[in-house]
Amino acid sequence: MTYGEISRTMILNPIRIVTDIWRHRYLLGQLVKRDVLLRYRGAMFGVLWIFLSPLLMLVIFAYVFGQIFQARGGAAESNLPFWLFLYSGLIVFNIFSETVSRSPTSVRGYPSFVKKIIFPVQILPLVPLGAALVHGFFNFLFLLAALSWTGNFHAQALLFPLALIPVILLATGFAWFLGAWGVFIKDMTQIVPVFIQMLMFLSPVFYPVSAVPGMLRPLYQSNPVSHVIEFSRGLVTGQPAEWSVWGVALVISLAVAILGNFFFQHSREEFADVL
Amino acid sequence: MSSDDIAISVRNLGKTYRLFGHPGDRIKQFLSLGMKKYHNEFTALHDVSFDIKKGETVGIIGRNGSGKSTLLQLICGILKPTTGTVNVNGSISALLELGAGFNPEFTGRENVYFQGAVTGVSKEQMDARFDDIASFADIGEFIDQPVRTYSSGMFVRLAFAVASKLDAEVVILDEALAVGDIAFQARCFERIDQLRNNGATILLVSHSMQHILSHCDSALLLHRGGIAVSGRDVASVVADYEKSVRVGHEVSYPSGAKKNENMRTDIQEKRFGSFEAFIDTFEIEQDGVVTTVLKPGRETVFRCGIKATRSFRAVALGISIRKPGTADLWGDNNILAGRELALHEGWNLIEYAVDFPLSSGEYLVYCGLAAISGSKRVELDQRWPIEKVTVVTDRTQIGFIYAPARISVEA
Repeated sequence: MTYGEISRTMILNPIRIVTDIWRHRYLLGQLVKRDVLLRYRGAMFGVLWIFLSPLLMLVIFAYVFGQIFQARGGAAESNLPFWLFLYSGLIVFNIFSETVSRSPTSVRGYPSFVKKIIFPVQILPLVPLGAALVHGFFNFLFLLAALSWTGNFHAQALLFPLALIPVILLATGFAWFLGAWGVFIKDMTQIVPVFIQMLMFLSPVFYPVSAVPGMLRPLYQSNPVSHVIEFSRGLVTGQPAEWSVWGVALVISLAVAILGNFFFQHSREEFADVL
Repeated sequence: MSSDDIAISVRNLGKTYRLFGHPGDRIKQFLSLGMKKYHNEFTALHDVSFDIKKGETVGIIGRNGSGKSTLLQLICGILKPTTGTVNVNGSISALLELGAGFNPEFTGRENVYFQGAVTGVSKEQMDARFDDIASFADIGEFIDQPVRTYSSGMFVRLAFAVASKLDAEVVILDEALAVGDIAFQARCFERIDQLRNNGATILLVSHSMQHILSHCDSALLLHRGGIAVSGRDVASVVADYEKSVRVGHEVSYPSGAKKNENMRTDIQEKRFGSFEAFIDTFEIEQDGVVTTVLKPGRETVFRCGIKATRSFRAVALGISIRKPGTADLWGDNNILAGRELALHEGWNLIEYAVDFPLSSGEYLVYCGLAAISGSKRVELDQRWPIEKVTVVTDRTQIGFIYAPARISVEA
């Protein structure tokens, strides 16, 4: 192995990026496992919280929006109760927000991995994503259960994970980008969560895009997260899937992921100097 | 020499750090696209080239800040070279800092498997090695306790046990063994010798010249980011290091004694110092007879004949005894004895008399002379070892200490 040329050849080639991650899949799996377990270690209910927290969230949504506000689904054409409408959008958004808001510390938080051992640091930003996907998976199971229970289940809803691919890629790209910047600029840890919160209100989580005034629509069209939320929620409500929307989101997200990887690989040389 | 024989090849290697005064300067630097300079530069390593053959054990020595750690990090690929290339033939296991990568919240067992995962050892492969690692670490039931509950000794043992069991072709140890106790260090070196016998290439950074002398095939002395000396004559590289550390400036050799001259090759003596004064003769006397076959419990005289090229106001003269590969079994010097020693120019004869305390067996006698001025110590002549002695006793006993039991039974 010769150092000096490795990152250059990997850069901008999606197949190389994927094979590189695949090579470290076991390590990545271990890191994600540690990350998830560490969060619940020492808690009285332990890993049970993985089930409990989405369940509690769902119950609260059902109570507040189902019983108190008696809100109906955002889109006029769907009969979906608002709490399920909200929940399905939030699953998508949470994967993005959990990954991205934790990414600035994903590398910075492990200085010994960067400086003291031989370690594939490029997988570190993927750890929060892995954890977010674990949580997303349980959220999805509860969503399916709640859909069946309320009689809103469509077979299409099973395609939900597929619909998430663009948002996963997008989150990966941002994670690489912010993971690298977080090493150099500590402020990212403060800045990112603020932007994430803004993005939540600017994404169609609490409302459908159709409720947005026409003037502001372009803002939503340029936001891949909102495309994915709308698309995946469409699957849940049983509307015909517009795969072209998904395709556009996929292309944009793929580009973001590749650029994020490029930026990360380009700047990783300096990580050890800074940390 | 074909390139297949080379484990590590370093060419014109250099590393310059960019130092930013303020985090914002880094952003400015990034945005200025190299048009303007917002940082200072610090060159930790410049123009270093060397080859290390497969199966070689190389000691890397140098004062603090001479670039040792930077060099190792570059070889591991943790740092990116500013100039030049590093070529490593084979897998690397590095112990740059003990237990780096250990998570204190997880148990020893979990951390062992995780370290395996980091270096690409699968769970199945680790299962096969786990018992060996656990027994080497020797931490008993603690293996299933969180690492944060470990004592530093346990931590070290586990970390070394894992690193030495990753079956890497190149093993890099940075001061790894400085923390452990003597018994553990001895076991580590046993393990290192095992790795050597299996054909691993080993890089050893240590401030213990003794470790370097007894375990390395060649040595490399770094000074201010460059190679000062290197070569297979480990003793002479170590001697140069001792000079740079202890003296702080270059010392010319006196005409009477040249470096490495007059060494005891039969006992693999390593000899170094400035030789401004040197131990010319060394005799051991018992019952009025000069001998190397000793009996314990008798008064024994170590007689050093020292030639000095000038006078010294204060020197330290020490004698110690050890078994090959162990620490000192016995040692003493005039400083500990509270006795000031001076040398005058020319011939000095100094005698140390002791009641010889060791049991039967073969031992090596070490002798060292250093000049003392204030808190500074300058090695004049270190002879490791200077003599081999055989001790005979009238009856067998266990261990190294002569203390035969007198047994009586009360009526």
